[in-house]
Amino acid sequence: MDRNVVWTIFAKEMLDLLRDRKTLIGTFLIPLVVIPFVFFLLSMSYSNVEKEARSYVPIAVEGTSKLVDHLRSQPGVRILSPDRPMEALKAGELRAIVTIPDHFDQVLRSGGRVQLHVAYDNTNQKSVYAKSVIDSAVQQYSSDIVSMRLRQAGLSVEAIEPIETTYENAASDERQTGGILAGIIPLMVVLSLASGGVAAATDLVAGEKERGTLESLLTTPIAANQILTAKLLAVMVMSCISATASLLSLSFVFRWGPLKVDGTDLSFGFLSPASLAVLAATIVLLAALFAGLELTLSTVAKSFKEGQTYMTGVVILAMIPSYMLMPIHPVDIPALYYVLPVFNGVALCKEAFYGEVDPLHTLVGLGTSLLYVTAIIAATARLFRREGAVVR
Amino acid sequence: MRNLQGFSFICPYTVLSGDIGQLISYIMDDKPNILVVLLVDQKGEQSVIEVDQVSKRFGNVAAVRNVTFSVSSGEVYGLLGENGAGKTTTMRMMATILQPTEGDIRIGGYSVRTQPVEVRRRIGILFGGDVGLYNRLTARENIAYFGRLYGLTGPRLDQRIDQLSRMLQMEAFIDRRVGGFSRGMKQKVAIARTLVHDPDVILLDEPTTGLDVTAANMFRRMVTMLREEGKTILFSSHNMGEIEKLCSRIAIIHKGSIRYAGTVAALRERCGMNDLDDIFMAMVEEGRH
Repeated sequence: MDRNVVWTIFAKEMLDLLRDRKTLIGTFLIPLVVIPFVFFLLSMSYSNVEKEARSYVPIAVEGTSKLVDHLRSQPGVRILSPDRPMEALKAGELRAIVTIPDHFDQVLRSGGRVQLHVAYDNTNQKSVYAKSVIDSAVQQYSSDIVSMRLRQAGLSVEAIEPIETTYENAASDERQTGGILAGIIPLMVVLSLASGGVAAATDLVAGEKERGTLESLLTTPIAANQILTAKLLAVMVMSCISATASLLSLSFVFRWGPLKVDGTDLSFGFLSPASLAVLAATIVLLAALFAGLELTLSTVAKSFKEGQTYMTGVVILAMIPSYMLMPIHPVDIPALYYVLPVFNGVALCKEAFYGEVDPLHTLVGLGTSLLYVTAIIAATARLFRREGAVVR
Repeated sequence: MRNLQGFSFICPYTVLSGDIGQLISYIMDDKPNILVVLLVDQKGEQSVIEVDQVSKRFGNVAAVRNVTFSVSSGEVYGLLGENGAGKTTTMRMMATILQPTEGDIRIGGYSVRTQPVEVRRRIGILFGGDVGLYNRLTARENIAYFGRLYGLTGPRLDQRIDQLSRMLQMEAFIDRRVGGFSRGMKQKVAIARTLVHDPDVILLDEPTTGLDVTAANMFRRMVTMLREEGKTILFSSHNMGEIEKLCSRIAIIHKGSIRYAGTVAALRERCGMNDLDDIFMAMVEEGRH
């Protein structure tokens, strides 16, 4: 294969793609600007709701008890007396209504059990927070009562809580960061790899077919395989750029954004050289797999629009394994997943981020990925050489 | 001498024949008084394009049926037919984009079936309608890209682009992106792209479709200039007037079959009509019945 020819076509494809607004938006703007912006917006909104929920907790109390003092001592709690408390709760003016039955304190002092009624709105996040504040106050008052009863019986707290457990988290800050990232990053990387090459793949075959440039290209003394190789490389590069842009933007969001993980300082120190090598190989193979698949669909498509429709399927195909594996810890990933296409890439990404790269999993995952990539490229090349597939 | 095919010596007792090399050696040997008869093809030119009983089927549909014609070196040959008659399919087979189901096409002696890369090296093809340019590249980048694919590099490529730019009067827009060009400007870039590797054979598939009068005139002047340079040109069109102005011989194709192949004068004589459009319509009607 003449490398100069492949380079000539590749260089032209890159120049052409980098001047295309659609490709720039899909590859750079969405991962670098839109994703962080959406994360910021969501987290800002979440933070604002939480801040407001904590700073002002209007509740109504019906009945009397020392519990009310405990409620008042909770941060942000304001006790209001609206005319129609239930309507105020529904309207969001009240967050909860605490109904204390008659003789509440007397029954408790005499060693009895009382029932406290709390009305709240489960659909309102602020009301749910108010419920947790009330629970906390009730817990405090309940502890006071229990202590009093134990004292009266001549017992200490140890009598009912004989075991005191202390917990120590064995995971380092970096490992914890890796654990958090292992959930979301493989998802974002795989989605970026799948979506990052969509615009390029659609444009480079279906688009060229529509504009008549592919026909002109095929009249030059260049083998179809050389054209396909250059196009495949161009799509892979765009996918990898998109994935890298996603990684950078997510790192930015986790390190400096409102989603910054409390108590942990984000760093990629948990990525050992072995993990990095596995991650890089996985990303390249996934990029090649998606590029091959997207070019196949683009070759089959008779128009740019048809190509775009087919590409939606690729992104959905990438989402399934990503979401399925998102909540699973690497040790719980079924062995079969290391053989299935895309699943194996997501599984290896998770292992890399957890810093637990298993040599056998790596061998099987990368080996099967290589097989899938070879198969899809062979299929694309076969299709590309067929006269009907490239001429409208 | 370019079109010399061979020779025969007619002597009192024998006839000698051979190629040009042998002729020179006979002359050098100082043969006695002999009559030298130079044998050339019927128009004094050798065939550069030979379409030999070519058919093309797409499933059950026969797009081209048993088409045969040849184009001589330095000739502008017209391929005439309605839309869907099989002109583009024939052109695509010549450009090796499609392979004939039956028969073969030889360009410059190379078969489209067995030597497609050699064929592609020798041809330049311009498709009509959509001119197939990269809109996000400049005119220069478009031409240079195709030049590189034909193996041109460095100063040779730059000089060729400058030459084409002057020839086609593209200096004012050569470094602008093609996306904003008029149809005529785009056509100039497409011609430059087709000619960048200086091909011997030029295939023009309905090249004036969509062009305004000025651009179409410019294009016809361009074809005349290429003919004067000795290029072999196959020109497909459904415009009889255009074909008559440019082509020495024509083939009329209808429903995938050649209905007539020869000179325009012979066609007029055969049909007994003067107006080419009338002749064309009469042949099309004849084909329908």
